Amino acid sequence: MTAQALIQMTNVGKFFGAFQALKGINLQVSKGERIVVCGPSGSGKSTMIRCINRLEKHDEGQIIIGGKELTDQVEDINAVRREVGMVFQSFNLFPHMTIVKNLMLAQRLVRKIPKAEAKATAMEYLERVKIPEQADKYPIQLSGGQQQRVAIARALCMKPKIILFDEPTSALDPEMIHEVLEVMTDLARDGMTMICVTHEMGFARSVADRVIFMDAGEIIEEADPKTFFNAPKSERTKKFLSQILTH
Amino acid sequence: MSFDFAIIVDALPKMLMGIGLTFQLLIISAILGLTLAIGLMLMRISGKWYLSWPAQVYIYIFRGTPILVQIFIIYYGFPQLEFIRDSFLWPMFRDPFGCAIFALTLNTGAYVSEILRGGVLGVDRGILEAGSALGLSVRQKFIYLTTPIATRLALPAYGNDIISLLKSTALASTITLADMTGIARTLVAQTFAPYEIFISLAIVYMILTWILQKSLGRVERYLGRYMEK
Amino acid sequence: MEALVGWWDDYFWGSVVVAQVFICSLVLMVIFGLIGAAAKLSNSVIAQKLANGYTIVFRGTPEILVILLLYFGSAIALTSIAQIFNPEVKFLDVPPFWAGTIAIALIVGSYATETFRGAFLGVNPGSIEAARALGMSNLQTFIYVRIPEMWRLALPAFGNHMLSLIKDTALISIIGLNETLFVAKQAIGTTGEPFIMYIVVGMIYLAFSTVITLTVMGLERYGQRHMVNVR
Repeated sequence: MTAQALIQMTNVGKFFGAFQALKGINLQVSKGERIVVCGPSGSGKSTMIRCINRLEKHDEGQIIIGGKELTDQVEDINAVRREVGMVFQSFNLFPHMTIVKNLMLAQRLVRKIPKAEAKATAMEYLERVKIPEQADKYPIQLSGGQQQRVAIARALCMKPKIILFDEPTSALDPEMIHEVLEVMTDLARDGMTMICVTHEMGFARSVADRVIFMDAGEIIEEADPKTFFNAPKSERTKKFLSQILTH
Repeated sequence: MSFDFAIIVDALPKMLMGIGLTFQLLIISAILGLTLAIGLMLMRISGKWYLSWPAQVYIYIFRGTPILVQIFIIYYGFPQLEFIRDSFLWPMFRDPFGCAIFALTLNTGAYVSEILRGGVLGVDRGILEAGSALGLSVRQKFIYLTTPIATRLALPAYGNDIISLLKSTALASTITLADMTGIARTLVAQTFAPYEIFISLAIVYMILTWILQKSLGRVERYLGRYMEK
Repeated sequence: MEALVGWWDDYFWGSVVVAQVFICSLVLMVIFGLIGAAAKLSNSVIAQKLANGYTIVFRGTPEILVILLLYFGSAIALTSIAQIFNPEVKFLDVPPFWAGTIAIALIVGSYATETFRGAFLGVNPGSIEAARALGMSNLQTFIYVRIPEMWRLALPAFGNHMLSLIKDTALISIIGLNETLFVAKQAIGTTGEPFIMYIVVGMIYLAFSTVITLTVMGLERYGQRHMVNVR
């Protein structure tokens, strides 16, 4: 039985003006896979995943999600975005709405789910990220770690097939990183397909099926965590690992 | 030179009779002006040149010329034009009140549209990206995300414009309207007591401004109570 | 249109008056604004209260009223004073030019106090600390570090103040200043063509505000010439 790739990126390239941010990206993600993407700043990791839900437009190559190719057609983009969730580095919660309203908005507007059901789903996922008591508060009243957990719940409420994480813990104070990684690990254990751009190597080691190293817009190396951390093939990978793992 | 309080006691009630007209000018122009401003702002941000350019030209003209000149063009100038006299709008332009409202509306509309645009541009990009990532359409993002946030961002500057509008209503006195300033000028001509009358009038305006500022401040604080500073 | 023929040079001289008012009121506005800002930033409670009072008074009063008050009020004051010396004096007034110029300078100056105060406080405290640590005196810090940064910060709002000044000049026609709007009134008296006459006034003021806006844009670009945009 062939596992159909949920995401298929073929020879994807992207330019910002004259600067090439992505070069010849080939990536396949199957259902249930947990991918971690790492690499130095400016290597194109964020750009790559933002191309998946079309927050960035790719200039070369093909991106096929769930069998449908990503193009400029609005219906295609929205169909993709319904199934692909995203968690941002700066949380991006809607500041003028309560937590529960944050979680309900897209359900009601995009999936046309009625109010009561949307609220029930919202509370269910708030429980799952372990902060149901914050439902009626506003984002500004929550800590960074709590806000990010809400952001994860917000993405989950849309029942996506895959979640993209764009450096979810980079903007957090160190003591709050753990609570967010815990939620992400639970998600992974429950079988959620995810692509996670992060510097948290501990998370990569324990949760990932595959670790991908990117540098200067290209995928340099791709392997299971054990091979990746213990026996990296490329020099650049080795250099990066030595820098990031020593201090 | 003495400061005659008797004059003030006599003049003040008479001037305050004009407060109704002052408020009519203020409130009607503010509401109509806001409506116009929303339309202009949407034209400006539409991205379509045939909407954006006319809006920009309009804003440029109305912010670049004195409001007194605008009032005079409408009150003294328009009746000279035949097509205005023949149009169904003639009753408005024949009347100083209609002209004042028209001029104040056009003027405040230009300023407020830029204020609203500033609010819209100030909305954090990340929030709109989160909306996109969740699958919200452009229209949904504008209604549920941009508008509430932009409104809060624009409130301080909008409040300042309302206060400017209050002060501009005093110019209605130059086209024979009997608002507070109009009555004051008549009284000064009769009593030759500019100090007493104008200073007390100034105090009335200052009190009105203070009331406006406090109320707007409260609205700002209430709406912004859960927003990032 | 032919109506305009005899009036072009009157409009020209009217425009000259507008420019003169602008320059004089600009200088005064900066002075009033700086004094007010200094007072607000000072440690003296009295100075702060006075400066705040100044702001409240001139921000809460319609411009036309300030002009009328200053003109008629000062005329009465001067006449009374002159009559002490020479009872023959019937009426002495402050020329509308100065009454109007000082009036609008006071008004816009009250807004300028906030602009300058904000600009002063907006200077990067790190730069000030660095200057002190390098041993620069207060005066040197002020001239070489504070002022260059301040005027960059103040520039956009200052541009708006200049636009306010030029537009408020039209109000001074009410007390008889011979600027363009006043010229238009006279022209209408003889030609009976209010529309075209007032439109010309509008265009003259539009030209002035365009020049100011372009100048400010140029100054803003000049001020940013050493600022590198971090990607």
